[in-house]
Amino acid sequence: MKDTVIVDEKQLIAKEKANNPSLLRTIWREITHDKMALGSLIILIIILLSAYLSPLYIDQEAQHRVNFLNVWKAPSAEHWLGTDDGGRDVFGQLMLGTRNSFTIGFMVTLIAGLLGLTYGLIAGFYGGKIDNIMMRILDFLMVLPSTMFIIVFVVIVPNYTVVTFVLIMSAFAWFGKARLIRSRALQERELDYINASRTLGTPSLKIMFFEMFPNLSSLVIVNMTLTLAGNIGVETGLTFLGFGLPSGTPSLGTLISFARTPDIVQNKWWVWLPAALLILVMMLCINYIGQAVKRASDARQRLA
Amino acid sequence: MAKKQFLLLASLMLVLSVFLAACSGKDDKKTGEKEPAKGNDKGSEETKGEDAEDASAGLDFPLSVSNTAEPIEDGEMTVALVSDTPFEGTLNRVFYSGRPDAEIMTYFDEDLLELDGDYLITNNGAAEYTVSDDNKTITIKIKDGVKWHDGEPVKASDLLYAYELLGHPDYTGTRYTFTIENVEGMPAYHAGETKEISGIKVSEDEKEISITYTEATPSILSGVWSVPVPRHYVGDVMKGDLTIEELEASDKIRVSPIGFGPYKVAKIVPGESVLFERYDDYYKGKPALKSVVLKVVNPVAIIEAVKKGDVDLATIPADQYLKAKEIDNIELLAKVDLAYTYIGFKLGKWDKEKKENVTDPNAKLADKRVRQAMWYAMDNETIGKELYHGLRFPATTLIIPVFASFHDASIKTPSYDPEKAKALLDEAGFKDVDGDGFREDASGNEFVLNFASMSGGETAEPIAQFYIQNWADVGIKVQLTDGRLHEFNSFYDMVEADDPKIDIYQGAWGTGSDPDPEGLYGRTAAYNYTRYTSEKNDELLKAGTSEKAFDTEYRKDIYNQWQELMVEDVPVAPTVYRYALEAANKRVVNYSIEPGTENYRPWKWGVSE
Repeated sequence: MKDTVIVDEKQLIAKEKANNPSLLRTIWREITHDKMALGSLIILIIILLSAYLSPLYIDQEAQHRVNFLNVWKAPSAEHWLGTDDGGRDVFGQLMLGTRNSFTIGFMVTLIAGLLGLTYGLIAGFYGGKIDNIMMRILDFLMVLPSTMFIIVFVVIVPNYTVVTFVLIMSAFAWFGKARLIRSRALQERELDYINASRTLGTPSLKIMFFEMFPNLSSLVIVNMTLTLAGNIGVETGLTFLGFGLPSGTPSLGTLISFARTPDIVQNKWWVWLPAALLILVMMLCINYIGQAVKRASDARQRLA
Repeated sequence: MAKKQFLLLASLMLVLSVFLAACSGKDDKKTGEKEPAKGNDKGSEETKGEDAEDASAGLDFPLSVSNTAEPIEDGEMTVALVSDTPFEGTLNRVFYSGRPDAEIMTYFDEDLLELDGDYLITNNGAAEYTVSDDNKTITIKIKDGVKWHDGEPVKASDLLYAYELLGHPDYTGTRYTFTIENVEGMPAYHAGETKEISGIKVSEDEKEISITYTEATPSILSGVWSVPVPRHYVGDVMKGDLTIEELEASDKIRVSPIGFGPYKVAKIVPGESVLFERYDDYYKGKPALKSVVLKVVNPVAIIEAVKKGDVDLATIPADQYLKAKEIDNIELLAKVDLAYTYIGFKLGKWDKEKKENVTDPNAKLADKRVRQAMWYAMDNETIGKELYHGLRFPATTLIIPVFASFHDASIKTPSYDPEKAKALLDEAGFKDVDGDGFREDASGNEFVLNFASMSGGETAEPIAQFYIQNWADVGIKVQLTDGRLHEFNSFYDMVEADDPKIDIYQGAWGTGSDPDPEGLYGRTAAYNYTRYTSEKNDELLKAGTSEKAFDTEYRKDIYNQWQELMVEDVPVAPTVYRYALEAANKRVVNYSIEPGTENYRPWKWGVSE
């Protein structure tokens, strides 16, 4: 008798799980049911694989070498996308650049996401005065002209590397996220399971990160996917202004920033156009995937 | 706390300027050079020479425009100030520092004594001079009818005022140089002991001024300071109306300066443009143009601006020469520039108290063999030929070939030879101990040099990378200071302040037209950014401007020795000499870039349509 009850429970749980598949599974189902998203995913994977595996077929040392006998060469069999002002192969730079730009965008999204999540959860969970104070601080931070501040930090930081760049960027990218998370957390804290957990004396941090957070995860994933696309662009913009990456670090922004003189825009398209197109394609891909993820998180919108 | 706030403020300001500059593009090397001390920068005996001609073989440019039509009445001209940074706007010869400011001043301000093609003073300008028999005293007589833009006559005491400012104990600028210090009584005045300079006498009628020097030097004929400062207009520091600091910041220098030149300042948009109007009472006659607009144009946009006819005159950055050649509504003029680019090695510090350079024997680059090796390692020929299409060519000594009688072409200077560089480094004990492909210093410590270079022009970044690569090829690890190129103003701020983040830097000098290098390499020269000093150097520089040096042969010999010393000690490694390229719209008439000719003077310039 006892045994059958247990079996029944297990079956029930299994049944429940099948009806309520995990978020990842839903996302996957959603993507496979949307041709645009699936296509985007495949293209993105191809781009990223070829970029991240580029050290296998590109000699980085040779790639950085300046060769003045070979400047501004148009695309040819030897240089698929021609060469730049220092005689360096543009295709190689494009690959290495994609790698750098994407890594940076990804890291920034991740770090900023973590910061925003923590801040928003704390503010939303406690509510009241703490929320009020934390939000006023956030208000203050949000009115700061962040681009200017990023540039200030880039200039005064003593040892400027990709890591410091990522940290500086992340320090200014989490404000909006904190807002978003906090508003959802405020709703969530009124729910019974939180109250129950509190009554049982569970530590606040545990409630926040192990009970409340999983219920917000879909929101977080959607938001991060969509900002990832934007963050690749942010790095590009700053590099264009001359405050992006340390010089000698190829990035998509460096390539695009060649398009500053009329002559290059008109006659030397091979330097900047591929990078610009690549960014466009990557952003579109990420966006389509992001849309699918967003739908997956909301049962009413699902296609699958 | 206060210090912290100041730092924050300072960094903010810096960043703001950098940001604006970066928004508008990149600096060009040509604007990226500092003007040296004015007192020293005018020519000397036989400055023009055949060498300059030889160097231009294959590249043949005119010095004057070919349009010979009559200039139209009341024409208007737009001149480009090619720079990617806003101009500073310190519009006074005593205080300014940037080349853009100097360019602005040529329109409204002048030397009293005009220079000829050899950069020697003449009697054709607003004043006449006579030199006493012992070569120690020069008397300058201002001609009648020379008036400031506000109608006041230019007085001898205005010129005296310039000397009073230059020698003033509170003067912080860089033009208190040998020619100024050499005036009798100047050191005492400079130390604050007296209120008067005993060597300068002004006549009763304020027309004549005589300046007596402690030592007779050939620099009198080329380096005498003859730019007056309008005492009645800007205010008198001597009477305590205002302090030097206030004067330097005053609107009468920055917003509404006056001079006695052919055009007067009508409007200044700070950092951006200057509108000049004809000054009808100009002492030589009525200037040809009704108005001149001088505006800052970014080097990257200059080709388009010239093509469209937006600007009539513009200097063309060498990296855009090929594009400029294709434009058919302009003429290209060029001459060998009084300038060179160089790599400087930081060897010490500037002592603010004593106002002199102090060389640090323990500097990273104290071993001259390492410096020589770095010179040998640089492939300047490729840069000049491939990147600048021959508009730049490898430099040899620190006296440019334009000074044909002093430039010593026979000295063997390092040229690209990596093997030789490696041998020198081995000899100096710089060997790769830990096997990472880079050498360690003589005591086995890691040896990394920080290289500061200016952003600017399309080629700044690849050139910096190219040198870094050249040095890496011989095993010297060099990295960019802060990992990036620096904008012109912040670059020179850092170099000037002996920022410890800089071990080597790439700079450029306008040498001025006096071959005397004292202002750039002397012990007391603030512009001696490498902070190199040596007794031999002091001795030679002194001999070069001594009384004996009136004898050209003697002076030549001294300067040859000096050039040799510089090649041996390498405080700086000159990289390239250059042509200065200028584009003039075909409607421009009476325009020439040949110094000393009539059409070289702004008041003659006109337009034909």
